[in-house]
Amino acid sequence: MTQSPRPADFLGQPVISARNAGIAFHKGRRHRSLRDLILRGQGALRSEEFWGLRDITFDVYPGECVGVVGRNGQGKSTLLKLIAGVLLPDRGEVRVNAGVAPLIEITGGFVGDLTVRENIGLMAGLHGMSRQSIAARFDEMVDFAEVEGFVDTPYKHLSSGMKARVAFAVVSRLEEPIILVDEVLAVGDKAFRRKCYGRFEELIAAGRTLFLVSHSEKDLRRFCTRGLYIRDGSLIGDGPMDEVLSRYAEETADRARA
Amino acid sequence: MIQSVDSDAESAAPPVQPAPVVGPERRRTRAPLRRPRALWDRRRAVGLLLRRDLKIRYASSVLGYLWSVLDPLLMALVYWFVFTQIFERSVGAEPYIVFLLSGLLPWTWFNGAVHESARALRVDGKLVRSTNVPREVWVVRVVLAKGAEFLFGLPVIALFAVIYSAEVNWRIVLLVPAIIMQAALLLGIGLILAPLVVLVRDLDRVVGILLRLAFYASPIIYAVEDAPGAWQTVVSFNPLAGIFELCRAAFFPGFLNWQHVAQAGVISFGLLIIGWCVFARLERTVLKEI
Repeated sequence: MTQSPRPADFLGQPVISARNAGIAFHKGRRHRSLRDLILRGQGALRSEEFWGLRDITFDVYPGECVGVVGRNGQGKSTLLKLIAGVLLPDRGEVRVNAGVAPLIEITGGFVGDLTVRENIGLMAGLHGMSRQSIAARFDEMVDFAEVEGFVDTPYKHLSSGMKARVAFAVVSRLEEPIILVDEVLAVGDKAFRRKCYGRFEELIAAGRTLFLVSHSEKDLRRFCTRGLYIRDGSLIGDGPMDEVLSRYAEETADRARA
Repeated sequence: MIQSVDSDAESAAPPVQPAPVVGPERRRTRAPLRRPRALWDRRRAVGLLLRRDLKIRYASSVLGYLWSVLDPLLMALVYWFVFTQIFERSVGAEPYIVFLLSGLLPWTWFNGAVHESARALRVDGKLVRSTNVPREVWVVRVVLAKGAEFLFGLPVIALFAVIYSAEVNWRIVLLVPAIIMQAALLLGIGLILAPLVVLVRDLDRVVGILLRLAFYASPIIYAVEDAPGAWQTVVSFNPLAGIFELCRAAFFPGFLNWQHVAQAGVISFGLLIIGWCVFARLERTVLKEI
């Protein structure tokens, strides 16, 4: 287990530190084919770009539980991907000083043709888990995912609920100090969701750093002490979860009325 | 009434001004020098993917092994038939089937690796998007997997060498530098192509066509010195020329020309360095496009 600082005093170095981080996307399609490239020439090269995130600066200390709020398409998931290292900032930097277990697009990496057992080995390994830990935690993962009878079934034959459970079981068991969660709480039925919640609480109690993106106010209040509010790609609020949530609620209500 | 509510809302939630993007200049390249280390640190990921590739290839079908040597073997038989039975062979050397195989096997590695590494980032887009391994891993893994198939194919050459009682000499050790050089060459080409194919879709097809041309432009069914006059110089600048000469040196030391080998070495490692930089430069753009 990682050292667990009391959540009250976040001592030490920040585990995540973003400095003026920004990332730009292209509004139109980039050149998608040689034909376009040749026929339209340089003009097709640079379509208009917009900043999906701009000038984001914050520090997260070990053991903190941070919730990110904001409406759809404002850059929450992009922020998570920057922290996970699967997107790179165009400006500034996002420094992550510890391993990350990303619960983002979790089923994405699983390979349909391989069995559940092989997939677990592959995904846990790709996320940096050692062979010994995979072996030691294999049963635990299968148990958690409730797929005991399907260990040697090709992944593609599982139901979508099972797939998500396997993926969640693997990634949530990585021994990384930082856990990124992107609305996967919506996965599975009520019973499984309760189990996921339990797992998060275990992880938080163990001193892991949690970074949660969610639209569920209940979940955010339950797990997070600190909130980040993102609007139009900018970080416009950073404070206690309750305050951030009420500000967010106010603004959404205003917007709905307007 | 509605108007005033509207303006209230405006004041409560002013649209965020597009804040000037401050901070360091837009970053271009991700330290290409620090990357080999990061890659080495995550070598286990390469091992895992490699094992997965080989498992799918060899464990899933009984004929797995046969499939990987069948292609070069059939090609060799076809060319052997055409050039010894139909035409009078005037290129290469006896036994021609061994000459062909010792060029076709490394060519199969080259062809397969270029083809697949060009598509490496696109095919595994979901994995690339959800795991934070150094992205070079996806190219390295293809080059190594195809390299392993090449090694598995070597017994086929041995078999025909025995049948035709071809003489083997000590230069068989030159296979080692040949493999290293070809791996470097393939990594270089793969690291250039993989991100480009993500950004320019139909480059994929161009690669296929170029590979077919490259087959005849490389000394596989002939040797460099079979090319007439000035063409010899042209062909010798194909890095595969020097590499294939090393591969063949165990049976055909007469074709070994160290100048070709030196050219191949410079081009291969030059391309590796260029590829490394191109990949580092394009990585951030590619990640947004996958």
